[in-house]
Amino acid sequence: MQNFFTFYNAEFLLDAMLTTLLLSALGCGIGLVVGFGLAVVRRTRGAASAPLRVVAILFVELFRRIPFLVTLFFTFYATQIAGFDASVFSIATISVCVIATAFLSEIVRAGLDSVHPNQWDSAAVANFTLMQTLRIVVIPQAWKVVLPPAFGFFLLFIKDSALASQIGLVELTYAGRELNNRGFAPILSFGSILLLYFALSYPLTLLGRRLEARLAGSRHH
Amino acid sequence: MSYTFHFGQIVGDIPYLVGGGLVSLEIALLAFCGGMVLGTLGAIGTSFGGPLVRRIVRAYVVFFTNTPQLVQIFFLFFVLPQVGILLGPFQAVLLGMTINAGAYLTEIQRAGFGSVRQTELDAAAVLGMSTWQSVRYVILPHVVSTLFAPLSNHFILMVLGTSMAAVFGVEELTGRAYNINAQTFRSLEIFSVTAVLYVAITLLASAVLVVLGRTLFRVRMRIV
Repeated sequence: MQNFFTFYNAEFLLDAMLTTLLLSALGCGIGLVVGFGLAVVRRTRGAASAPLRVVAILFVELFRRIPFLVTLFFTFYATQIAGFDASVFSIATISVCVIATAFLSEIVRAGLDSVHPNQWDSAAVANFTLMQTLRIVVIPQAWKVVLPPAFGFFLLFIKDSALASQIGLVELTYAGRELNNRGFAPILSFGSILLLYFALSYPLTLLGRRLEARLAGSRHH
Repeated sequence: MSYTFHFGQIVGDIPYLVGGGLVSLEIALLAFCGGMVLGTLGAIGTSFGGPLVRRIVRAYVVFFTNTPQLVQIFFLFFVLPQVGILLGPFQAVLLGMTINAGAYLTEIQRAGFGSVRQTELDAAAVLGMSTWQSVRYVILPHVVSTLFAPLSNHFILMVLGTSMAAVFGVEELTGRAYNINAQTFRSLEIFSVTAVLYVAITLLASAVLVVLGRTLFRVRMRIV
């Protein structure tokens, strides 16, 4: 049997690991921005923005309850049928963005609600526009509440990104199956990707715990 | 884009899909029960066990909560036959989901166990209760109301997590959707119906859990 611990295999696995990380980071980053927009839309109260509010609420409630695999397949087939010649990575990223938007908009909504109503009212009295209110008053106070759970979601997503291997994206799980198919012992191929996922996730988990301790502590007033 | 939706072609397959939804619920329920057993044992081990037991449980929890469930099931699916344990896809997925759920539920229950006041545990020890008796008569009544919400939340996540059983050929909702797709090629229709079914199943499960919580455990929850 060939040697499993070759440079070529290590390069393959590391490349796949980078794809996993990039997919999760890009998806969650875009999801945070769009989710922020959705959360702000949900806070508006005018009648003119009511259809937008309904769309935002429907989007969030729907995509929080659909498994990632179903979203992946749906996006995959939808882009194929619409004729976009998108790479598998783009399709996976779009799916990740959609799901991340749904979950992160809930987290951002909780963060926006954590800013005392007096702050919102004072900004209104000072005649701030919505953008000014967000930029000057709300975000500086809300980001500490938003960041720890958002980081936690990013961590969760690194594990969920394993499902993207099912549409053919060469990420860490796909790499494991590929090595298994090439004839290496499954205990080596799958064991090594388990360890690599652990090596990716555990330090970030510790970082997330540190982040939460620091940011939550500084909020006591 | 010149795609016309033909829902008529798959309407006949919808009962088949709903049956798949029931299989998903079945997998989630079985895995949750198994996970609860493991979780309770793990929480007892963490609270009452010696340093070695605590370290083993901690390693188990840390490892299985930092690796993907899909990869864990792949590992079991491919490695177990090599050591002689031949499991079908359904059993392998169930085993993998149970072990994974056990890790998360250990964490949840550990938090619950930790919320019981030390005076209560001391009183139980003074009365000469064994570990099992103090868990059953002192800890569980206190924590059952507190733990119901996080546990039911995790159950809903597990129902969504059963969709990865389709990767192994298990005929649950996503698996059946994939089968129908392979036959009829009406992919958008099928997967949108599947998505709607998943939303319906999770809403139904949440509603049942809320009612269960209010009647049996006096926990007021909203359908989230």
